[in-house]
Amino acid sequence: MNWEFIYRVGIIEAIKGVPVSLYVTFVSLLIALPLGFLCAITRFRRVPVLSELISVAVSFLRGTPLVVQIFIVYAGFPSILNYMVQTFNWNFDAFSINPYVYAFFVFSLNVTATLTEVFRSALSAVGKDQAEAARSVGLNAFQANCHIIIPQALVSAIPNICNEFLNLFKSTSLVYMMTIQDITGKLRIAASAGYNYTEAYIVIFIVYFLLGFGMEKLFQRIENNMKRYKALPQT
Amino acid sequence: MISVKNIQKSFGHNHVLKGIDFSLNKGDVVVILGPSGSGKTTILRCINFLERAEQGELTIGDIHVNLKHATSKEIHRIRKRSAFVFQNYALFNNKTALQNVMLSLTVARKVPVPEAAGIAKAALNKVGLSDKYDAYPSQLSGGQQQRVGIARAIAISPDVILFDEPTSALDPELIGEVLGVMKQLAHEGVTMIVVTHEMSFARDVATNVIFMDGGVIVEQGTPQAIFDNPKEDRTKQFLKRILLEEQ
Ligand SMILES: Nc1ncnc2c1ncn2[C@@H]1O[C@H](COP(=O)(O)OP(=O)(O)OP(=O)(O)O)[C@@H](O)[C@H]1O
Ligand SMILES: [Mg+2]
Repeated sequence: MNWEFIYRVGIIEAIKGVPVSLYVTFVSLLIALPLGFLCAITRFRRVPVLSELISVAVSFLRGTPLVVQIFIVYAGFPSILNYMVQTFNWNFDAFSINPYVYAFFVFSLNVTATLTEVFRSALSAVGKDQAEAARSVGLNAFQANCHIIIPQALVSAIPNICNEFLNLFKSTSLVYMMTIQDITGKLRIAASAGYNYTEAYIVIFIVYFLLGFGMEKLFQRIENNMKRYKALPQT
Repeated sequence: MISVKNIQKSFGHNHVLKGIDFSLNKGDVVVILGPSGSGKTTILRCINFLERAEQGELTIGDIHVNLKHATSKEIHRIRKRSAFVFQNYALFNNKTALQNVMLSLTVARKVPVPEAAGIAKAALNKVGLSDKYDAYPSQLSGGQQQRVGIARAIAISPDVILFDEPTSALDPELIGEVLGVMKQLAHEGVTMIVVTHEMSFARDVATNVIFMDGGVIVEQGTPQAIFDNPKEDRTKQFLKRILLEEQ
């Protein structure tokens, strides 16, 4: 075991990678939250055609391995694009697209798929009596959604959103496949010089463990706070 | 004056309401009795348009609508003049007691917030919840929740309040506080249509009792006429069974 590598190089490289991992996580989540919510509403209201399309897309995204999706998008898409560039004589370098674009694309779509299901089940978990009471006191459908249904659904979705945040944060360790230097990417590069891969992965393990543990504690506090104010709907 | 004429309603092949007619005057308390599944809830839900009847007319004061063809504008006008108290309270879980009562004023009727807050507080005081303005439904007992439900109904000063078994989800020791509030409203001249199994309430408070079975009104009259001198066999049998259960 090369201890020197772990605390001279590994820790420093890992810390340099943390902002990159968090960056990919946050941007993907920020794209996915509104998108997932819109998809959930579309599914929930059973909008014809769109609802079925979303359902298929969600199954597709959730049913195939992330690694394969990354490979298809990152390696497959530019090749297809390049083929088209050559065929149609476009003045464009198909391989010049920033890898972050691919990362945001893959991760935000995957999170959107999960959040669609999260929001949809949260919407259907709001009791039917809530919508009826809202209509009965004279609210129209839009007002009932804004004041009663959606706020309750969002609150009951928070634990699952936190969970998904953590999952997303862990899966972003695959962005090194797209040459992005996140925690894993930085350490793999550092390790390659002296073949210190075991040490590198131990550092990765510890960094993810500490960050994940911290996030979990933070989310628990958020959820407990909400419970304390009893804002969570009762079922 | 409030009246319904010839309400007909089916769920699939189940013909639930087979022509319901009755009317009441301002200040009347009509109690609807009947065995489970006879269609009592469905009547109230049709009157509040939570269910669309296949046929029927409804008059509340000067508003007259067809239950089948009413437009959303007409439905909105009816809902502004009537209020529903649900069996399971159906309070808005994400709103405090005060917000529950205020919401229909501020959102549906565009009453300015300070004024709405005043009305809502007065309504909550009336049902004895002056110390629970900021409590969420989950922090209230069943009896307190149902009283918020009643406050939400009276806050809009409706022409009629529809009660669907307001005490049947409550523990026995909490029934009294809700019936007490309802009695007080009756004394103040609030017009109510009440579905209930509380016979003492029907006897003491009702101006008119309707007994229904199988989607039709079997008999209606004053509480004395129905309880002391029922004409129809079905009414007699029902009352006998209920009185036995109460003992
Ligand atoms: N949404 C619905 N879909 C299908 N059938 C329904 C629906 N609501 C009520 N019914 C049927 O209509 C009939 C009357 O129901 P309703 O709830 O009006 O009875 P009720 O007199 O209020 O009974 P209870 O005393 O049990 O509350 C029942 O046979 C019931 O199964
Ligand atoms: Mg009923």
